[in-house]
Amino acid sequence: MANPLTLYVPIKQDAISQAGAQLAYETFVKSVKTGLDASGIVHYARLALIPNASGQGTYAILLITAFDGPMNPYLSFFWTNPNTQKAFAGIAQVALNPPVPPVTDLTGFENFINENNLSQPADLYQAYPQTVKEIEAAFPHKTVLPKHK
Amino acid sequence: MSTINDVTVPDKSNIQGMILRGFTHPYSCHMVFKFKDQPGAKSFIKAIFPYVQSAESWGDEKPDLMLNIGLTCSGIAMVSNLNATDMKYFPWTFQKGPASGGSQQSLNDCGPSDPSKWAFGNTTQQVDCVVHTYAMSPQMLKQLVSIVSNAATAGGLTEYLPLDEGTKRLEEYALIPRNSIHFGYLDGIDQPKLGWTNPMDPSDLRNFLIGYPPSAFSPGPTLGDAGTFAKDGCYNAFRILLQDVELFDNFLSTNAENIAKTIGQTPKYAKEWLAAKLNGRWINGSPLELSPDEPDPKTSHSTKFGYAGDTSGMKCPFAAHSRVANPRDEKLSEQGPVPRLIRRGMAYGAPPLINSYKGERGLIGLFLCGSLPTQFELLYSWINTTNFSAVFPSQNGQDALIANRSMETADTSFTIPTDKGPVVIKDMPQFVVTRGTAYCLLPSLSTLKSLAE
Ligand code: HEM
Repeated sequence: MANPLTLYVPIKQDAISQAGAQLAYETFVKSVKTGLDASGIVHYARLALIPNASGQGTYAILLITAFDGPMNPYLSFFWTNPNTQKAFAGIAQVALNPPVPPVTDLTGFENFINENNLSQPADLYQAYPQTVKEIEAAFPHKTVLPKHK
Repeated sequence: MSTINDVTVPDKSNIQGMILRGFTHPYSCHMVFKFKDQPGAKSFIKAIFPYVQSAESWGDEKPDLMLNIGLTCSGIAMVSNLNATDMKYFPWTFQKGPASGGSQQSLNDCGPSDPSKWAFGNTTQQVDCVVHTYAMSPQMLKQLVSIVSNAATAGGLTEYLPLDEGTKRLEEYALIPRNSIHFGYLDGIDQPKLGWTNPMDPSDLRNFLIGYPPSAFSPGPTLGDAGTFAKDGCYNAFRILLQDVELFDNFLSTNAENIAKTIGQTPKYAKEWLAAKLNGRWINGSPLELSPDEPDPKTSHSTKFGYAGDTSGMKCPFAAHSRVANPRDEKLSEQGPVPRLIRRGMAYGAPPLINSYKGERGLIGLFLCGSLPTQFELLYSWINTTNFSAVFPSQNGQDALIANRSMETADTSFTIPTDKGPVVIKDMPQFVVTRGTAYCLLPSLSTLKSLAE
C-alpha cells in the first residue's frame, strides 16, 4: 500500500527566497533522483510552485509524492542522502514561517515534514497495489549494448 | 562526566538503570497513570524520586526495591516548565504518540489490536507517566507499589488498571525457567552491546541515549530547552501484547501431525521444530542457524551468527521472528544499518497450566530506543510487512510469530523450506494482540530531580 505526502510550504516574498524557490523547482528532479532511486520506495515525486494571487511570484512550494510503507521510519534515508537533504533544507530555508525546531538535524527534518504535510493515507487513490520494488523486479532494466551492422 | 578521545561520555549516575542493564529482580509491577494538574504531578515525582535506581553499579548492596520512571509527551508538557514552543522540539512521533496516524502506518494495530480497544494509550485514555517498580520479594513489591499508589492518590493522578476488565495492575509473572516468556521460549538473549567506540554502529550507546550526536540513528531532541531536558534520556515504547497461548499450542499440535509425516519425524519433534521455525531459535534459545536440527545447550545463548549464508531459508525460515527483528548480515534492499532495540520486557499472567488463573497473559514489552520512528517503528513495519530484503520470497509476508494478520494487504501464509520440499501453512493465526501502548521518555535523574523542585 502506498502512502501520500503533500508538503505545502508558503514562502518568503523577498527576491532571494523567490529565486531560491524557482531554482528548487528547476533542479528538483536532477537533485533528488539518486536519493529517491536508492530509496526504492518512492513511486512519483514532483515539485510545483503555487503562484501568488496577483500572478506575480510564488506563494508556496508544493511537494507531492507517493511512497510504499510508513513515512517516518524512512525519513532518515532522505536526511542522510546529501542531495535530498539539501533539497529539503533549501525549502525550509525559504519558508515564510521559520520552522521550529530548525531543520538542522533528523528531528527537525521529521517535524518539518509532518508539520507541513496536508495528506492522510485515506486520501490516496491507488490504481495498483504493487510496490516500487515489485514493479522494478517485474521489469528489470535490460543492459543496452552497442549496435553493430 | 568524563571524556574519552575528546568525546564527553555520560555519567551513569544520571541515567535511569534499566537503560544500561536488565534488572534481575524477580518481582515487578508496571503502573500506568494520567496526571491531573502540575502541582499534583510534581508532588508525585517528588514522592517517588528517592526510589529511582540509576545505572551506577550497586556493588554488593542490591536494592530490595527500586523503580524507574517514564513520561509521555503529554506528561512532560504538564509536569515540566517547558512551554508550547519548547515542546515542538521533541520528535513528532513522540509528540503524537503510538495511536496517531503516522505511527499506525508502522504498528498497524487494526482488527482486534485497534487502539480504540486498548486499555491505555488511545485518545480517550491518555497516559502521562509509567512507573516501573522492581523488588526482591512479593512483600517488598507490595510495599513499593503502595508507596507509588499513595503518592498518586495524593497528587490526584488517575491510575489505569489494564488487566481483566480494568481490575488489575500489570504485574510480572515469573515463568520457569527464568527469562522465559509465554509460548515457552527463552527471551532476552541478544541485546545491543551499548559500547562507546563507534557511533555509527547500531549497538553503540549513542544510538539509544539522547544528546550525543552524531550517531547512526540520531536520537533527539538535541536542541533548545527540550534538548537539555531530554539529555541522557532514552525512549521506551511500552507495549502490552496479549499472547493467546491456547491458540498457539493448538496451532503447534494440529500442524505437527502433518509436518511429522513430511519431514519423517515424530509429532513431538515436529511440534518443537515448528515452534523453532516460527522464532528462529529453539525454545531453549539455540539459533537455527547454528543448531538447525535440534536444540543444543552449548548454543542456547549464542549471539554470533548470521543469515547471509542461508539464502534458501533451509535452516531458518525468512519470516522467523528473530530473522525479521534482527536480520543481522542479511542483504537488505534498503539503505542504512539494521536498527537494534534494548528489550527489557517480561511475562504477565500465569500460564494455562495454572488452572486457578482465569485472566489474560502476555508480554509487558519495554522496547528502548533513541529514535522511535527509525528504530522501533522501522522494525515494526518489517514485522508486519517483510519487504526489507529481496531474498525474502514474499514481499508482503509477515513475521511468523507476532505480526498483525488483519492487515488488508498481508500475505498471511508461512513457508518453511525443507530438503523434502516446502511446508506451507496457509492462514497463520494471530497469536498476539496489542492491549495498550505508550511512548515514554526515561529522563535523566537530574531532569527528574528538577521536576520535583
Ligand atoms: C508477544 C510478543 C513477542 C514475543 C513472544 C517475542 C519473542 C521473542 C523471542 C522468543 C526472541 C528470541 C530470544 C532472543 O533473541 O532474545 C525474540 C527476539 C527478539 N524480538 Fe521478540 N517477541 C515479541 C515481540 C517483539 C516486538 C514487538 C519486537 C519489536 C518491535 C521484538 C523484537 C525482538 C528483537 C529485536 C529480538 C532479537 C533478535 C536478535 O537479536 O536475534 N519482539 N523475541
